[in-house]
Amino acid sequence: MKLLPSRVKYRKQQRGKMKGCATRGNYVAFGDYGLQSLGTVWLSGRQIDAGRIAAQHFLRRQGKLYIRVFPEKPISKKPLETRMGTGKAEVEYWAARVKPGTILFEVEGVPEDLAKQALARVAHKMPVRCRMVSRRLAV
Amino acid sequence: MSHEVPVLEAQPRERLGTRYAKRLRLKGQLPAVIYGHGSEPTPVSVNEKLMLSALRRGLHVFEIKVSGGASETCLVKELQFGWQGDNVVHVDLTRVNLDEMVTVSVTINFIGTPESAKRIGAVLTHDISELELHCKVRDIPESIRVDLTNMVGDIMTVAQLKLAAGLTAVSNPHAALARVVVVLEEATGEAATTAATLAEPEVLTAKKEDPATAPGGGDDKKADKKK
Repeated sequence: MKLLPSRVKYRKQQRGKMKGCATRGNYVAFGDYGLQSLGTVWLSGRQIDAGRIAAQHFLRRQGKLYIRVFPEKPISKKPLETRMGTGKAEVEYWAARVKPGTILFEVEGVPEDLAKQALARVAHKMPVRCRMVSRRLAV
Repeated sequence: MSHEVPVLEAQPRERLGTRYAKRLRLKGQLPAVIYGHGSEPTPVSVNEKLMLSALRRGLHVFEIKVSGGASETCLVKELQFGWQGDNVVHVDLTRVNLDEMVTVSVTINFIGTPESAKRIGAVLTHDISELELHCKVRDIPESIRVDLTNMVGDIMTVAQLKLAAGLTAVSNPHAALARVVVVLEEATGEAATTAATLAEPEVLTAKKEDPATAPGGGDDKKADKKK
């Protein structure tokens, strides 16, 4: 799975702040059930991939898994035992900005109990508290 | 068809705003507003439990009995959700006549599994979970049952749907309702992950290497200046 974008405008980014809750991507849009983040975190590409593998191993090609977040933010980190200064460090990994309410994964085509178990396994791999949600009311 | 119109008691809201709405929610009331048919909008509050259970059943039309006023037939026009994305915080109700034509979106209940979805690796996916319908208020169904057992081919479209008399689908007739897709097994090994991590993205604003500044090219000029 791709853990970073194919094309970016700038190589490095400032850290920024993540205030408030998610106002977009905060409801189940594609699947039947979803995994919603309840905290704020930079979710690395590796962590997203770990979640995907956990769900796919459990579902064994039974349902369809949607990944709703993408690691688009470059995170740079200075090497150990390096003095401060001399410019910004190299990019260490790529992360997705996750706010409370963001839907991380969605599952479709499986019964509720199976989806619940699959998403619980994914939640164990996430560095943030999560909950399972279903589609919202339609009018 | 839903002929049942539940009666809900509502209290008029005298104080408006976030703070007062929040206090109402803590008391188990749901802020709502009734508008339409040329009358003034009326901010009200309804019992949250009753309203949500009715909405979960797929009901769209309610008889709202405002205390100290007449009862009105109302259609749920819009729901506002909170930060969790699925928690209702406000309801918009519009005054309607039961014989009025309206456009509403109704939940689709898929039943059965087609033969083509029983293959290894095949998954039945639902492209649409709600269908927009144009019908009379009294004819609004609670949900639409779609039986996929006898699905022809791998795709079922809106045009193939058999709707009851009086109901017209507004959605694109060529839009897929459900389809059978074969899920390909992706590489899950560590090798695939490392290969993906090592690649670097293309930087659009990266400076192109100039032959003058390239190693070997620019050094000669500097050396000449020093001389």
